[in-house]
Amino acid sequence: MTITNYNFYQIAIAAISILIIFSRGLKVLEGEKGQTFSKFFLTVFVWLGVLIFALFPDFAQQISKLLGLGDNLNTLIFLVFVVIFLILFKIMNIIEKLESHISEIVREEALKELKDKSDR
Amino acid sequence: MKKDNIFIVIPVYNEGSIVGSVIDEIKKAGYEKIILVDDGSKDNTLEVQEKEIVFLRHYINRGKGAATKTGFEAVKLLGAKILVTMDGDGQHDAGDIEKLVRPIVEEECDVVLGTRKFTVGEVPRIKILYNFVGNFFTWFFYGLWVTDSQSGFRAYSKKAIDVIDTKTDRYEYDSEVIREIKKYNLKFKEIPIKVRYTTYSKSKASKQGFLNGIKTVFKMLISS
Repeated sequence: MTITNYNFYQIAIAAISILIIFSRGLKVLEGEKGQTFSKFFLTVFVWLGVLIFALFPDFAQQISKLLGLGDNLNTLIFLVFVVIFLILFKIMNIIEKLESHISEIVREEALKELKDKSDR
Repeated sequence: MKKDNIFIVIPVYNEGSIVGSVIDEIKKAGYEKIILVDDGSKDNTLEVQEKEIVFLRHYINRGKGAATKTGFEAVKLLGAKILVTMDGDGQHDAGDIEKLVRPIVEEECDVVLGTRKFTVGEVPRIKILYNFVGNFFTWFFYGLWVTDSQSGFRAYSKKAIDVIDTKTDRYEYDSEVIREIKKYNLKFKEIPIKVRYTTYSKSKASKQGFLNGIKTVFKMLISS
């Protein structure tokens, strides 16, 4: 199979996916603040999936057979739901952390007077 | 029993109409060290500052768990030997404090969980169901079965005060304490308590519906 066997959109999507995975990998290697291994893993999982489905559309059909689902579109929709759920879970986790930080600030303020007294 | 080192922590949110009488009842039972954590109330809760208590205020509402944790931090600063947490809506009987504190004073255990009696007819059925679901998910996520995982009436020893470190802010807090008991291998005891299901407390409980329950379970999943 040569590059001419692919449509333009397949090559474009594949290029974007590789670029995103590569740039995120670099950020992790450089130890950029906020970049964790789990975030990198999620990025690779999502964009590698996009890359595979773009270059090998028949792959979805093979997974369909494996999972016992209908045609490959159903499988794609199913996998998209799984990815959406994972992203939602991640977002909820981030919100929860932010909420926890807000509580810490509010607590510090509530205890300020008491701390000042105990320091004296 | 020496009551000077026993601190009572009451987290409150918009309980201005009843919290004054709760404080009076606790004082009548002989406990003077009371810490009230006002969790950003918008009613007249501020007025209880006039009573001789330690009054702490969250300037925005952060939830029962966050308010109780503030109480925990406060007692650490004040050097408490024993901490008792109780609700500010008048559900709990201050007369039960002694029952809860005794096993800790006698060094039998580190945490005493006040356990409500869930008898059909005496307790609203929906509360019985919520409690069972709460107990089940607490066991499922944290691996310890208790008969009342959602009770707010509890007593803690100095050791428990020092090690328990909760992260959640809202109602999932009560279950998180159970996780900490398991994590630090703290000795615990369950003691039956009286609960007053007044019209006021019943109207408040109805706010904790099905959706809040789902949210609580989800937060337990994240924190587990």
